[in-house]
Amino acid sequence: MLLSSDKIQKKQQLLRPNMERLSSQTADRQPGPIRLADPNRKPELQQTIRPERVIIRSKDFSFYYGSKIGVEKITMDIEAGSVTAIIGPSGCGKSTFLRCINRMNDLIPNTRAEGLLAVGGQNVYDKNTNLVNLRQQVGMVFQKPNPFAKSIYDNVAYGPRLQGIRRRSELDAIVEQCLRDAALWEEVKDDLSKSALALSGGQQQRLCIARTLANKPKIILMDEPCSALDPLATARIEDLIAALKGTYTIVIVTHNMQQAARVSDRTAFFCLGKLIEYGRTDVLFTNPAKKETEDYITGRFG
Amino acid sequence: MTLWRQIKNTLFTALCSGSVLFLAATLMIFLLPMLWKGSKAVFFRKTVEFDKMQKELFKRGHAEDLERRTAQTNQARQEALALLEHFSRGIDTALLSREVRSAYQQLGRHLRYLEVSDDEYARLREQAKDIRDAFLQALETTDKAEAESLLDTVDAQQTNPRFQNSPFEVVFSLSKQYRQILQEIDLSRRPEYAAELDIVKTEMRNLFGPLPGESIPPLPQDRFGATRWDVAQRHLQYLIYQTKWVPSGKDDKRLIPKQIRRDDPEEGIFGKTELAPLFSMVEQNLAAMLQPRPTIYWRYFLDDSTAGHYFGGVGPEVLGTLLLTVLSMCFAVPLGVLSAAYLVEYAAGGITTRIIRTCINTLAGVPSIVYGLFGLAFFVLLAGNPSILSASMTLALLVLPVIIRASEEAIRAVPQSYKEASLALGAGKFRTFLTVTLPAAGPGILTGIILSLSRAAGETAPILFAGAVALGPIPDIGLHLKWLFQPTRALSYGCYDITVGDRLAMQVPHNQFGMVMTLILLVLLLNLAAVLLRWRMSKKLQGL
Ligand SMILES: Nc1ncnc2c1ncn2[C@@H]1O[C@H](COP(=O)(O)OP(=O)(O)OP(=O)(O)O)[C@@H](O)[C@H]1O
Ligand SMILES: [Mg+2]
Repeated sequence: MLLSSDKIQKKQQLLRPNMERLSSQTADRQPGPIRLADPNRKPELQQTIRPERVIIRSKDFSFYYGSKIGVEKITMDIEAGSVTAIIGPSGCGKSTFLRCINRMNDLIPNTRAEGLLAVGGQNVYDKNTNLVNLRQQVGMVFQKPNPFAKSIYDNVAYGPRLQGIRRRSELDAIVEQCLRDAALWEEVKDDLSKSALALSGGQQQRLCIARTLANKPKIILMDEPCSALDPLATARIEDLIAALKGTYTIVIVTHNMQQAARVSDRTAFFCLGKLIEYGRTDVLFTNPAKKETEDYITGRFG
Repeated sequence: MTLWRQIKNTLFTALCSGSVLFLAATLMIFLLPMLWKGSKAVFFRKTVEFDKMQKELFKRGHAEDLERRTAQTNQARQEALALLEHFSRGIDTALLSREVRSAYQQLGRHLRYLEVSDDEYARLREQAKDIRDAFLQALETTDKAEAESLLDTVDAQQTNPRFQNSPFEVVFSLSKQYRQILQEIDLSRRPEYAAELDIVKTEMRNLFGPLPGESIPPLPQDRFGATRWDVAQRHLQYLIYQTKWVPSGKDDKRLIPKQIRRDDPEEGIFGKTELAPLFSMVEQNLAAMLQPRPTIYWRYFLDDSTAGHYFGGVGPEVLGTLLLTVLSMCFAVPLGVLSAAYLVEYAAGGITTRIIRTCINTLAGVPSIVYGLFGLAFFVLLAGNPSILSASMTLALLVLPVIIRASEEAIRAVPQSYKEASLALGAGKFRTFLTVTLPAAGPGILTGIILSLSRAAGETAPILFAGAVALGPIPDIGLHLKWLFQPTRALSYGCYDITVGDRLAMQVPHNQFGMVMTLILLVLLLNLAAVLLRWRMSKKLQGL
């Protein structure tokens, strides 16, 4: 059924105050010229990374889905304790690269990896790699919130329980700490036994982050963690990323360039399976070295 | 345009609800008569015989009350039974001849006791033997005059002092009785009377239990009369009416059956005899003779039954069916779910998987009797004898394809993201399956279980040879597990057995349909439990 035009107007009027409140809160997230959250944030951030600070090292790393190329000859180092954003057009291999770091691509049959991809000096695609250890070290947050159909408590305690922690007091402490770290504690502390699926999308995503934190990883991979969320929830996740920085190394894939600019220290630009440009975020966004990068970030891409 | 769309919408809604209603109606048409007939096993009018049976076979009921009612009904029956006994003495000469023979034998013992001389003893014996033979001859002959003259020779010895006050004296009173009977009946029709009297006696036994003077029959079903008022009504009809085959028309040689009363003054066989009043007596006083009362026999679902399901309930059958169903699920569910998990998670899309899947689909369509024969050829031979174990294994095989298919679909429907979340936390494949995939697939797997529950509970053919019996000990469930190796009764097999049993279904239709009803209720109950479980599970999964 169609609404008549004056009905629509009425609806808009009803909605307006709300929309205004929203826009005032997220004023700096509106489209427009890319602004950095704090230009002088990290004066010591170097364009090149000191070798002892490298936690993920990729050298001529290629990944194939059968004969199809996922990513090709990626060479980049990621600094420990930093936030690295990966941007690029759809289908360019961002997710592929990210999922190679904790070998989630193993689930897909007929895949093949070449070159070096090392986490903490250990080759990920080595035959002797202990997958359980690797995945505990390298946590992952997915695009769509995917909490288990269990209680909030059991969701967070899933990882620690896997590691053999059974004592209730110990688990309680971990659950509380991780929920606090994920800025969810205040909202859920009263009913931890409630099903995780009863939470809102944003809360679910923070729960997934808390679940990842409970595993005490060194690295957290995030594949478009905010794409299913509204601006307010996005803001909370971004704040969370900022808070987690330093303690954890974060690699985040995003389509939102404002977001990449806001949260990351370094940015990698992927295109057609190749790494085009990688460097400090402020430099890459204000003064890109490559033509493609400039086209992409100014929206002329295509 | 809008109107047309609205019409289409309405039509669609009407069609959908119509087909659902049609389905429900069909179901009702099938189920309701079954349930209605079956309900008569629980709701019916019991007679005093029912209470006697309950007291004797199941040790329950109020003893004093029963005694009082037995006395009342016995009094109401007395006249009719006396009439029958008196009449049958004339027809059923076996009775009289037995008494005469026994009197003769007792005389011998009596004489030894008196310590008469050997000569005297031999003489008296000889005399008594002559009397006896004369009496027996009188009983056998169909000529009234001859019989009377023979009885005269018997009566001539009445004055012998040696026979007075001896056990032999009874012979003379019997002779007097028989003389009277001879006045009443037409001796030439005696064989005819005898055959009909047999029927009358059987029906009287069916109504009131063993006749006075008869010994307690060995089979429990013969020890009581009609325990149910509807059965009593049926036997009353059998008692009163006889079927006569009469020509259908004048020139027609075809015979048609005609129901006529046995006491009909013109046509009825006993119309002109002393027995005639019996029929209307029973007909009019049946309620007083049996004291029908409405009852709810809820123990029907728990009670053991006597052989042939004459009395009692379906307790062992219910237990057996439950055992078989639960056990078969215990075998089939883990196996089915694991196979499904293997097919989905481990053996993704090779040619082998495709072959396996085709095999499973084929198995789902194999007739159940084939499973039954396989169970006989494999499990029974392996285990040595038909037993609960082999029967439930056969049932498990039967439902396995259904469970595998349903579980496969359910496991496949679990979002990949769930599994990824678990794997990304460092869980192994098996761990992920147990803690994440399985709970999420739970409702779907339960659907398969619900489908197969009903099937396992209701199938007869697979357990026909593999472990079901019509009669057998009640499994004594315990930790010793010996019961696993015994055969058991089961509802489905019981239905089959009553129905094919020789004339059994005719005599206990309430039990036949009672069993069907119990089976339907049991399956509904099991399904309800599973549906509730599934509902709770999916509610939990949805986070409500
Ligand atoms: N499971 C798969 N099997 C085969 N090819 C795949 C598979 N997953 C991804 N690809 C291919 O690999 C390439 C890179 O995919 P990827 O998912 O990494 O892109 P992306 O950069 O994450 O895109 P988006 O921004 O849309 O998420 C695409 O061309 C895609 O078609
Ligand atoms: Mg992607």
